[in-house]
Amino acid sequence: MAYETFYSDLVCIGAGLAGERVAIEAAAAGFKTILLSLVPPRRSHSCAAEGGMQAALGNCAMGEGDSPDVHFADTVKGSDWGCDQEVARIFADTAPIAVREASHWGMPWNRVEAGKSMCFKGGVCFEVEDKAEKHGLITARAFGGTAKWRTCYTADGTGHTLLYTLDNKVTQLGITVHDRIEAVSLIHDGDRCVGCVARCLKTGKLRVYLSKATLIATGGYGKLYSETTNTVINEGGGHIVALDTGLVPFGNPEAVQFHPTGIVPTNILVTEGCRGDGGTLLDVNQERFMHIYEPEKAELASRDVVSRWMMHHIREGHGVPSPYGPHLWLDIRHLGEKHITTRLREVYDTCIHFLGVDPITQLIPVRPCHHYSMGGVRTNKDGYAYGLEGLFSAGESCCWDMHGFNRLGGNSLAETIVAGRHIGRAVADYLKGAETTLRTDLARQAVARDEERIKRIVSGADGKENVYDVRNAMQKEMMDNVGIFRNGTDLQKAVDNLRELLVRSKKVGLRSSGVGSSPELAMAIKISGMVRMAICVAYGALMRTESRGAHAREDYTARNDRDWLTRTLAYWRNPDADLPTLEYEPASPVFHLPPGDRGYGKCEIICREEMNE
Amino acid sequence: MSRQLKFNIFRYNPQDPNSVPHTDSFWLDETPSLTLFIALNRLREEQDSSLNFDFACRMAICGSCGMVINGRPGLACRTLTSDLPGEITLMPLPVFKLVGDLAVDTGTWFRATNEKIESWIHTDQEFDPEALEERMENDLANSIFELERCIECGCCVASCGTANMRADFVGAFALNRVARFVMDPRDKRSDADYFEVVGTDQGIFGCMGLLACEDVCPRKIPLQDQLGILRRKMGFIGLKNLFRRKV
Amino acid sequence: MTTIDTAIYVKPPSRVSAYLDWLQMLTGAGLIAFMWSHMILVASVNLGVKVMNAIAWFFEATYMAQVGGPLIGATMLLHFVLAARKIPFTTSEQGAIWRHAKMLHHTDTWLWVIQAVTAMIILIMGSVHMWTVLTDLPITAQKSAARIQGGFWMVFYLILLPMIELHVGIGFYRIAVKWGFIRRAERKPFKRFENILTAVMILIGLITIIRFATLAI
Ligand SMILES: Cc1cc2nc3c(=O)[nH]c(=O)nc-3n(C[C@H](O)[C@H](O)[C@H](O)COP(=O)(O)OP(=O)(O)OC[C@H]3O[C@@H](n4cnc5c(N)ncnc54)[C@H](O)[C@@H]3O)c2cc1C
Ligand code: HEM
Ligand code: HEM
Ligand code: SF4
Ligand code: F3S
Ligand code: FES
Repeated sequence: MAYETFYSDLVCIGAGLAGERVAIEAAAAGFKTILLSLVPPRRSHSCAAEGGMQAALGNCAMGEGDSPDVHFADTVKGSDWGCDQEVARIFADTAPIAVREASHWGMPWNRVEAGKSMCFKGGVCFEVEDKAEKHGLITARAFGGTAKWRTCYTADGTGHTLLYTLDNKVTQLGITVHDRIEAVSLIHDGDRCVGCVARCLKTGKLRVYLSKATLIATGGYGKLYSETTNTVINEGGGHIVALDTGLVPFGNPEAVQFHPTGIVPTNILVTEGCRGDGGTLLDVNQERFMHIYEPEKAELASRDVVSRWMMHHIREGHGVPSPYGPHLWLDIRHLGEKHITTRLREVYDTCIHFLGVDPITQLIPVRPCHHYSMGGVRTNKDGYAYGLEGLFSAGESCCWDMHGFNRLGGNSLAETIVAGRHIGRAVADYLKGAETTLRTDLARQAVARDEERIKRIVSGADGKENVYDVRNAMQKEMMDNVGIFRNGTDLQKAVDNLRELLVRSKKVGLRSSGVGSSPELAMAIKISGMVRMAICVAYGALMRTESRGAHAREDYTARNDRDWLTRTLAYWRNPDADLPTLEYEPASPVFHLPPGDRGYGKCEIICREEMNE
Repeated sequence: MSRQLKFNIFRYNPQDPNSVPHTDSFWLDETPSLTLFIALNRLREEQDSSLNFDFACRMAICGSCGMVINGRPGLACRTLTSDLPGEITLMPLPVFKLVGDLAVDTGTWFRATNEKIESWIHTDQEFDPEALEERMENDLANSIFELERCIECGCCVASCGTANMRADFVGAFALNRVARFVMDPRDKRSDADYFEVVGTDQGIFGCMGLLACEDVCPRKIPLQDQLGILRRKMGFIGLKNLFRRKV
Repeated sequence: MTTIDTAIYVKPPSRVSAYLDWLQMLTGAGLIAFMWSHMILVASVNLGVKVMNAIAWFFEATYMAQVGGPLIGATMLLHFVLAARKIPFTTSEQGAIWRHAKMLHHTDTWLWVIQAVTAMIILIMGSVHMWTVLTDLPITAQKSAARIQGGFWMVFYLILLPMIELHVGIGFYRIAVKWGFIRRAERKPFKRFENILTAVMILIGLITIIRFATLAI
């Protein structure tokens, strides 16, 4: 059993924005750092974010009077009080610094241009005037669920430019990057994590990374669903290895967000910026409808609210029929050719190339689809994972929990670099004190285990299930029964079916030889982990008998602060079990902003006793 | 409408001693709005699970899926089969090292090239968390973004005859990247510094003006214009030194 | 790992590549200018034997042919040496560019291949031609006509003419795009212009050859 071993102070599993930002912080502090990624870092999912990131700079006219306090309040309200308010506070305070730092590193943020300009909101045109003293500072645009215009952006390539900026920094610092590497298990002794076993996706060989600290920054797990805006590599690899330890909990798995405007049929997201800039939603009669449900915010209400009303409207029979099922229209025609081909160029290109639709003159077919995973590897406010020392997490894969049950648009890009900065420092501090012996004996055992598992899959020792059939069945189950509207009956059905799928997933056998990089084998290795994650989501949703943020139960429509102002912690303690153990902890250690009305969406609240004056 | 599409796909698994480079043919019924992304995934799931190819974003923004489609390097995820004839030939991008079938290792190449051209902001200034950001004209920010839109898909490199002949040529992508930093006032590199990076036959003077890069770039980066500007700029820096005669 | 501060050993940037690129372009441009003048000179026979003889006499009387001829030869040689840096001489390079051009359906790449191939032909045929003409001064329409009516030179020119015009036309286009004189938006129209120019030049050349062939000596 020959395998390569790589030693470092920190190994970051995941080289998206979060992973890279942590790596930069650790490397700058002098620690040997290795970044692992399924794809070259610049191809990470972060590059797909178009709209922008929130930071209370208050430079543009419509952002005047903004402050971290306002941003904090918006974030907490957005989370439907499900977030950790200490974390939200750290986040809101650090975001402006992180944005300026990115600028210092070369990020071409769009800037304030003094003088009058025309804006759209809800299809209405109005004039704003930017002040001369703010000219040339970083500007912002409107996004759903925010009191001020706070979303900093670079045209519609914010994630792309930010990721390139960070990766440039990583290159500058000479940080080692191993791409086409997939982590398949964590190495630990029950108390402490000392690295991971990974599979090289170029050669198919297993290798070992031994490190004093290990970071999980593997992004979201959108591919549990068939219709998702996420990239095809967002399969929850990091969550699986953490959950597999039996020690690290999966926080709030049921908190899954849907996006209102994925194009039909490919689910490519058209940015919220479309609506922020004044785009409107139309139904089969080409009439606006959002103002009926949300008189004040209309199309700009937070995305879970918009998604739900869209589905509601479709269910009421106002959807546009199509071979791919009913959808609605997004109308940006009135923004004009110049605006669409410059500020919304990405959207324009998407429509032309993937739909054959010209958004300057035609309507865009859209419908809600899975978009974001609020839940993840549960950590404390400094990114320390629960359950294992030396294990950290940051970014979308992490549940340090600033999003609670609903993330605001623009808050997750900001989260990646704010958390990366903050948690990166925590990691560096940890490393300063760390006296870990890098245990090669543990590594040997872990590799042997994984090698055995792979051998059985390749030889079909446990069965000949087709991995793609299992995956597709799981994705469909999640889409059909663990989607935007949830209810006990469907969720129960989903849990039952997924448990059956779990059995099948353990009988997967390859149809190809499995030699070399073998994409089929890569999928087969993680399939049962994916099904376990899906079960966590479905089971967590079934047990949470309330509606909060993106988690909307038709049979429990009220937000129940009395019983459910909590965070779900899903543990998979017994590898042979087919259900996780669910535990709960208070949503936040402190409530600077006491639970109340979000100011949008329907408002049915069962109050906590002590707050029920 | 429904056509039977024939796919001729290059096959080779360098890790497998029994594998030899060859072409396999597959057939697939065309459906509405079928992209090569959907088609290849269907082929892998329904016909040959050993088929190797790369996709990530499937929305033409990550640059993973560059391949040679009927003779032209392009992004498979945003290629609609309805824009292609009924017989579709797919080959991996040349220049880059083959991982298997249609998948190539672009990561190593781009990282090495980015190191070579020092693709980052060079400045002595420390970041001050308390201070306001340095101001910039919005038009300039947009111009930088225009060049920063490159997604490192490798299509320009794969389509460039020079890069195919000479392994040390940095390619249009890198020259565009340098042009981006030349434009950025935050980068304090002098003309001479840039000259050192690209004023060579591995850099701008190696480019023979074949312009395949310009023609295949899926992001429509203005490569022709940037290469022209850079050649003139570097040319003049070279001349200036001739007359001044100092280092 | 030992780290050596390589900065101190780094040579100041070499400017050689820049000079050579300038020279390649300038010799190319010079040769273009020459070839167009040359065309006017030779094609003047179409306006009348006397006109051509007069022009030829003028060049010789001023010694421009005697001095300019070898100078052109030298320029061509220099241009060749410079351009040779780009020509694939090894079989692996030739294989690479050939496979590549065949795979890629792209005219500008093919144009370059044409340029490289014509270059080799021009190198040989151009030299032979220059030697012949310059060792047999003075130039007169009658002598040229006699040469061409001999048959061998007719075939020779029928080959050399398209070679040189293609090479010049493509070179003209390439200088314009490489150095940014022609921008993205102007490329298409400019290319069309260049194609027409090449065609016209070949046409004039053909008429000239026919004129020589039919000229009473
Ligand atoms: C279409 C779209 C648009 C968006 N727009 C916005 C927006 O406008 N504003 C906003 O704030 N947010 C937006 N988001 C959300 C935001 O982009 C993401 O939340 C954020 O980029 C996540 O960054 P990350 O660094 O945590 O993870 P990612 O960028 O997803 O990186 C994950 C990394 O982990 C690696 N990885 C995964 N599994 C493994 C494994 N097993 N082994 C090794 N490596 C692994 C991957 O290769 C990758 O490098 C958008 C999301 C989508 C889908
Ligand atoms: C009178 C004869 C010639 C004329 C008018 C001429 C003209 C030109 C011009 C204008 C260019 C473009 C220059 C550039 O891109 O910088 C060029 C390029 C070239 N020439 Fe010539 N040339 C002549 C003879 C030759 C000869 C004899 C050779 C070599 C054997 C040659 C080889 C080349 C090559 C290979 C190129 C391409 C260089 C590149 O792409 O960078 N040429 N020529
Ligand atoms: C100074 C040098 C040159 C002189 C004095 C010269 C002179 C002439 C003359 C007198 C003719 C008429 C035909 C003849 O007499 O045989 C001619 C024809 C021609 N020359 Fe040259 N030449 C020179 C250089 C070149 C070069 C460098 C090339 C190209 C590489 C070239 C290409 C041709 C061609 C293609 C023709 C045929 C013209 C036609 O068809 O109209 N010549 N030249
Ligand atoms: S310049 Fe264009 S073709 Fe080249 S890597 Fe960038 S996006 Fe791809
Ligand atoms: S194709 Fe190559 S030779 Fe130059 S113009 Fe483009 S880099
Ligand atoms: S899959 Fe990302 S560019 Fe095609």
